[in-house]
Amino acid sequence: MIGGIPLGDVLLASGALFLIGIAGALLRRNAITIFLSIEVMMNAANLALVGYGAALGTREGQIVVFFVIAIAAAEAAVGLAIFVSLFRHTESINVNEIHLLKW
Amino acid sequence: MAGFPVERIAFDLAAAAAVLFASVMVVHKHPVKSVLALVVAFFGLAVCFVLLSAPFLAAIQVIVYAGAILVLFLFVLMLLNVDVEARLPGDRRPLHVFLSSGALLLFAAALLSLLRREGASVPAGRYGPAGAEIAPLARLLFSDYLLPFEALSVLLLAALVGAFVLARREGP
Repeated sequence: MIGGIPLGDVLLASGALFLIGIAGALLRRNAITIFLSIEVMMNAANLALVGYGAALGTREGQIVVFFVIAIAAAEAAVGLAIFVSLFRHTESINVNEIHLLKW
Repeated sequence: MAGFPVERIAFDLAAAAAVLFASVMVVHKHPVKSVLALVVAFFGLAVCFVLLSAPFLAAIQVIVYAGAILVLFLFVLMLLNVDVEARLPGDRRPLHVFLSSGALLLFAAALLSLLRREGASVPAGRYGPAGAEIAPLARLLFSDYLLPFEALSVLLLAALVGAFVLARREGP
């Protein structure tokens, strides 16, 4: 029941979360923290989707969020596997020390 | 909507908690504590979902996100024995900091202007208590969105195999 919740509040929270995620992804050097920041950004988008879905009275927003969460799970599994194998090679997950593809 | 806006206050509190703990996640130097802060933030988001009449997503948020994905992060962090983020000599180049903060400010400004317009134009919802039911959601998921749903299961299988292949120890 969004009766008492203005959409502006939802969008403000979503925007703030997205900004925090961007800040983390840009400023942190730990690969796993960057990954977590990306998760925060996805959750910000989820919040906006659910908010709009509730405001417009449709369920499509929730469906999209369902797919986003499932894809985030797949992405986390593959990404963390990449970090594990990367850590075996370089003994570090600091993104400044990882420059295999950087010439 | 007369009287005390309980739902709005509850939503604002939960959202504020989520934002607060997300910023703790970004600021904290220790990755394990970052993950734990993010668990709390995702619980706050789950409360937000309940208040926005999406209880199914709230359950998914707690079970899949806080329960599975973040625990996976914790496992990997402890497996790799990652310590406090070290600061390397060439880490904070002025140009990098300048460009990052410039991009952030630009995005914040764009977001604020967008929010001012969108928040005013979209009407606050008329989603009754019936909207919170899960059965219509399931019906939609298994009729109109059946093909994406099945594709998703293939994707999850591919991720499973991919994660196994990537993290496997090479050699004999």
